[in-house]
Amino acid sequence: MSTKTTDSPFESIFPDRTIVHTTDSNGNIFGWLALPSAAALPETAKRLAAHGARLCAITAFNEEKFSCGGNMELVYNFDLDGAVLNVSIPVTPDDRCVPSLVNDFTNADWHEREFAELFEVKLTGRDAPKRLFLDPDIDSGVFNRLIPLSSMMNGASTKRLWETIFAETSMPDWAKEAK
Amino acid sequence: MATYSIPVGPLHVALEEPMYFRVDIEGETVKGLEISAGHVHRGMESLALQRNYFQNITLTERLCSLCSNSHPCTYCMAVENVAGIDIPERARYLRVMADEIKRLASNLFNVGIMAHTIGFNSLFMHVMEIREQAQDIKEGVYGNRMDLAANCIGGVKYDLDDGIESFLRTQLEEMKRPLDEIYQIYAKDPLITARTKGIGILPKKDAVRLGVVGPVARGSGIAYDVRDKAPYSAYDQLSFTVQTEEAADVRSRALVRLREAMDAISLMEQCLERMPKGPTVPDCLPEIPPGQSVARSEAPRGELIYYLKSDGTDRPQRLKWRVPTYMNWEALHAMMHNCKISDIPLIINSIDPCISCTER
Repeated sequence: MSTKTTDSPFESIFPDRTIVHTTDSNGNIFGWLALPSAAALPETAKRLAAHGARLCAITAFNEEKFSCGGNMELVYNFDLDGAVLNVSIPVTPDDRCVPSLVNDFTNADWHEREFAELFEVKLTGRDAPKRLFLDPDIDSGVFNRLIPLSSMMNGASTKRLWETIFAETSMPDWAKEAK
Repeated sequence: MATYSIPVGPLHVALEEPMYFRVDIEGETVKGLEISAGHVHRGMESLALQRNYFQNITLTERLCSLCSNSHPCTYCMAVENVAGIDIPERARYLRVMADEIKRLASNLFNVGIMAHTIGFNSLFMHVMEIREQAQDIKEGVYGNRMDLAANCIGGVKYDLDDGIESFLRTQLEEMKRPLDEIYQIYAKDPLITARTKGIGILPKKDAVRLGVVGPVARGSGIAYDVRDKAPYSAYDQLSFTVQTEEAADVRSRALVRLREAMDAISLMEQCLERMPKGPTVPDCLPEIPPGQSVARSEAPRGELIYYLKSDGTDRPQRLKWRVPTYMNWEALHAMMHNCKISDIPLIINSIDPCISCTER
């Protein structure tokens, strides 16, 4: 991406903030706004909502790729008539809590439920989010843990899987032997 | 009147993929809906962190069958954006061709299933027969009927020679008339109209509020198409119309998809006319620097967005994608409010749901 500073619709919305602008090879505009803290997010979101922006996605990630409980960052992508503003907020181990945007952007619901269950981030300003994808039996914050690829793809757990199934299934002996 | 709940799914004959709907019913009328996802969650975003940038092209191509070109293409765009890679001009057009043949096949599949759901099986077979020609194109050009393996970082992995160009032109020409015929059926046939007009309405204000995308948004009168608003590949060089309908019902969404299928043929023909000769990949690729990028495309179901965070190694620090269906599920609450039980499969099909994409 190359750096660009003109033609951005975000300059007039945030004259008081420093936004870094980049463009892709087709000239599409991407603004990058790093907020100092999560507390600044609701006011930023309100201004964007007032200008008719649409929330596209929210991404959570650990600053250290496979750390658990360390510093995190959340990146919110907003579309405004073809231009994208990426708003990032830090999440620290002491305060793993961010304000919800559902009051300004209804479609924040699924995004917030997803990062809450995968990264164990708490949300304020909304009811406790229901699990979105993962079974309640799975520990929350599972995305914070390093799970070796072989385990994730069941390559290392095949035997245990079948042993569990055999133990809990009333399977005839001949069927167990066949396995 | 007594109120009761009926379960639809997670495994149900009307659903191609698993999703659970708990529908509250009063008589024959739907009064409430609860959607539960998670039946095919595969942790693919976590897998992506453990594979290098090249391996992730293969991974993202296997997210879903119907949008299996949009994912690797948009992923490659995100990598190109973070590394400042310009793709050759010819590759831009070849990417459009791969995108549009997938759109054509995907949209026809959806409207075909709609006919099947209505019980108009001769139309279903008619649509699938036309779609089969799109599948033939994929098999003939790419060697595969679903995963095209067309994209690589910096360009594309395929090219067209005179023989394939001629085959393409013939196939595309042959599809125009039957496509026009089925469009007329979907637009005017009394049986189709009776089952789809005024069903599953998503008012424009709700569509805006819920942030829906793709044909679901355009069927509610929102003229937003990433190919038009934020062009990528060679779309800024090509001519097409952002298709919209105002009635916001099942019929509107089907008509938008059919017209976009017809536009896909036009876009492929424009590519064949305008595509310059030249390389399809750059001479060399730079190392992927630390940084972050975003890339977007218009998949058959709507806006697809990729976010990439690089730490300078050969594997992403974070790769996240949000698929169009993810934004469209909640619209079912509005669409199904006070609808009849018999309309549920039709309305769910009208958002063209992709569950393997949604859950990753």
